Parts: sequence; structure tokens; C-alpha cells
Amino acid sequence: MSHQRGSDHSLEHDEVSSLIPWYVNDTVDVHERQRVDIHVATCAVCREDLAVQNRIFEGMEAQPALDYMPVASLKRLQARLDVSQARSAAPQAPPEPVRRETWRGGRMAASVGALAIAIGVLAAGRWVQFEARVKEPSYRTVTKATLRPPGEVIRAVFSPTITLEELQHLLDEAQLKIVSGPTEAGVYSLASNSSVAVHSSLQQLRRHSAVRFAEETVPEPESGNLP
Amino acid sequence: MTLPAKISPKERDSALLVAVAAGDRRALEELYLGYHRRLARFLSRFTPRYENIEEIINDTFMVVWQNANDFRHASQVSTWIIGIAYRTALKSFRRQKNHNGERSLEDYPVPTVDPTFDAEVHDWLKHGLNQLPVEQRLTLELAYHMGHSLEEIAVITECPVGTVKARMYHAREKLRQYLPALSGASPDLPSRTE
Ligand SMILES: [Zn+2]
Repeated sequence: MSHQRGSDHSLEHDEVSSLIPWYVNDTVDVHERQRVDIHVATCAVCREDLAVQNRIFEGMEAQPALDYMPVASLKRLQARLDVSQARSAAPQAPPEPVRRETWRGGRMAASVGALAIAIGVLAAGRWVQFEARVKEPSYRTVTKATLRPPGEVIRAVFSPTITLEELQHLLDEAQLKIVSGPTEAGVYSLASNSSVAVHSSLQQLRRHSAVRFAEETVPEPESGNLP
Repeated sequence: MTLPAKISPKERDSALLVAVAAGDRRALEELYLGYHRRLARFLSRFTPRYENIEEIINDTFMVVWQNANDFRHASQVSTWIIGIAYRTALKSFRRQKNHNGERSLEDYPVPTVDPTFDAEVHDWLKHGLNQLPVEQRLTLELAYHMGHSLEEIAVITECPVGTVKARMYHAREKLRQYLPALSGASPDLPSRTE
């Protein structure tokens, strides 16, 4: 009974049919809603489609069983930004900003002057709440990021779910040991445990899915810390 | 310049992104916290593992940080960011596929849901969604749950509106096969015999 009224009905059918997803999630406007209601009253196909899509919508509304950890995740992003800013600040920094990143340009906006201006911009409103949530100052300077504990050859960030045992196993495999960390941003400083080359330790680390980030530390030419 | 006390979410996002383009990490952090939950839920249609979700979100915000200058303020910040997350997820999916050979979609199951939610309502949907290509699953989430329009989804997924329509149609037809047989318990579905 649905297509008896010829091409007018068929056109209306096509157009209403494509509105149904937004009808069921209630984002259509009043006129579109009316249009769907009127059409559905006379079109069995759309009526059935509407019923099916209502059930799809209903099912999709269920909250995924997911532990949202925005602040912890943000800290790991900050660690990545720290490292890439430190690298772009260092004169001998290699061109790739971050592991696996091949985004266009790869340029880092690390202008400290711009930062100082922009921090003032967002001083009002929600910002206060944000600081309360993050608790400690999350902004880290480039200078702070380049201070290194003695012996450090690699900086790494691990998955939040890694167990101590897994971490130990992973470090043994890569012949590394922790010399400091984690920082508030989750960064560990690692030193070599043997005479194995740093890059092979690095490769070993990067093979693990639990390693979020691993970077060789840029050598400090004037460093007095080296053995 | 200070932000007025009452501004719309769109204006706020835009102002934050201007600051991000100037190198303001605090603005990036504020933007991050504003989007985290939305993106995590969206990406949970792609993978149930929070650590993978986090990695995609953080990759997304590295791109936001690096490319904020390229953003054209005539478009919406939200579609731009969600679009980056969408493409980052697909890249990660393809990378996994290359590393592990052909993986079935079963390796990317949708997560289990809140146990207080009526199990019967979502079990069929969960099975159905698991059979869909990643692009179709994410498109459904963008439309039904997130309420993006066809045009916005076309921008986010960088494909023509016709492709979005086709994905939604195919996804729906597939899901329909998983709908439990109807008994008298579902009054909202018209009987075929009428
Ligand atoms: Zn119709």
C-alpha cells in the first residue's frame, strides 16, 4: 500500500526515509518532525524502518563499560609534548618530532613568548575548575624537560595498565634500568644496563605495545654527568 | 583579550584553537578535557581497549597541536577534531592489519556495556555491530548517538554525502538481520501480517 500514489509519494518517501535517523535521536526540527509523522502514517515501509531505527538508536544509547581517565591520559600527552618541545628546542634535534608521527609538516609551535600571551587569554571561567581537577601545574618548561638524571639514555612512557612484573621483564629484555621517574607526566628515565647499543634497546622497547613512547636522549656535549 | 563569561561551546572551541595555534599548551589541555569523553565514547565503537582509545585521542591532539594554524575558522572545530580522530583510528586499524595480516573485525569488538542496561536490548546490536566494517560502525555512532548531520559526517569522514548515506543504509540492513524475532513484547514494531 505504500507506493500507490506515484512519484510524489515516492519522492516524499525517499526524503523522509533519509530523515529517520535524526528523527529517532530527536535532532530534526519541528517541520521535519511533522513531515515524518504525516508520511509514516501512510507508508508501511517507513513505519517499519522507523521502528527498526528506534531500536538501533535505543541500543546505541547504552554507555560503553569504559573507565574514562581524562587526566591520566592528558598527562601522557603532556609527556609527549614535553619531549617533542625539548627536541625541537635542541639544535641537534632530529627532524621527526615523535615516534610514528608522519603528520604534515611536523612543526612544533613551541614559542614561549606566544605561550605567555595566550595563558592570559583564558584566565576566566572554567579555567579555575580545570586547574582544580588537574591539581598540580601541568605546564612544564622546555628547560625543565631537558634536565637529565645521570646515565639517562632513554626517556619512556609506559601504558598505565602495565604491571610491575611486566615492566621489569620489558626492561630486562631491553637491558635497561630505571634511573629516575616517573615524573608527574609519567616519564621514566632509563639507563643502559650493559654495553648493548642504545638504539637496539630502543627498538626492543618500541616493539612492546605497553610502551607508549620511547626516545633516545639527545646527548649533552658539555655534560659532566657521563661516567 | 579575555573570553566573555557566557560564550557558546562553538565560540569557546574556536577561541581555544586560536590560542593553541599561538602555542598555548593550557588551551590545548582545556580543549583536550572538553573532548576527551566524547572522543573516547566515539572510539569505543572502534576498539574496547581504553589504552588504544587513549593512544588515538593523544595522537589526535598531537595533530591538533601541530596543525592548529591550518584550521579554517569557517568550519567547525568539533568536526575538525572528530575528523582527525576518525582518520587516526582508521590508520591505526590499517596498520594493525598490515602487521598482523588479515584480521577479522572480531578483533575489534565493540565493548560490553553497562551491566545495568537491559542485556536483551543490546546483545543483538553488539553482535550486529561486530559484523560491520569499522567505517559503518563509526558512521552510525556519529549519526545516531552524536547527532551529526549527513553533511557534517561527510566532512568528518572526508567522503561524499552519498557514501555516508550508503554506509548508513548497509549498516542498517545488516543490523536488521540481528534484530531478535519479534514477539508480542515489542509493541513498537508493526506486524508484517497487517
Ligand atoms: Zn515511506
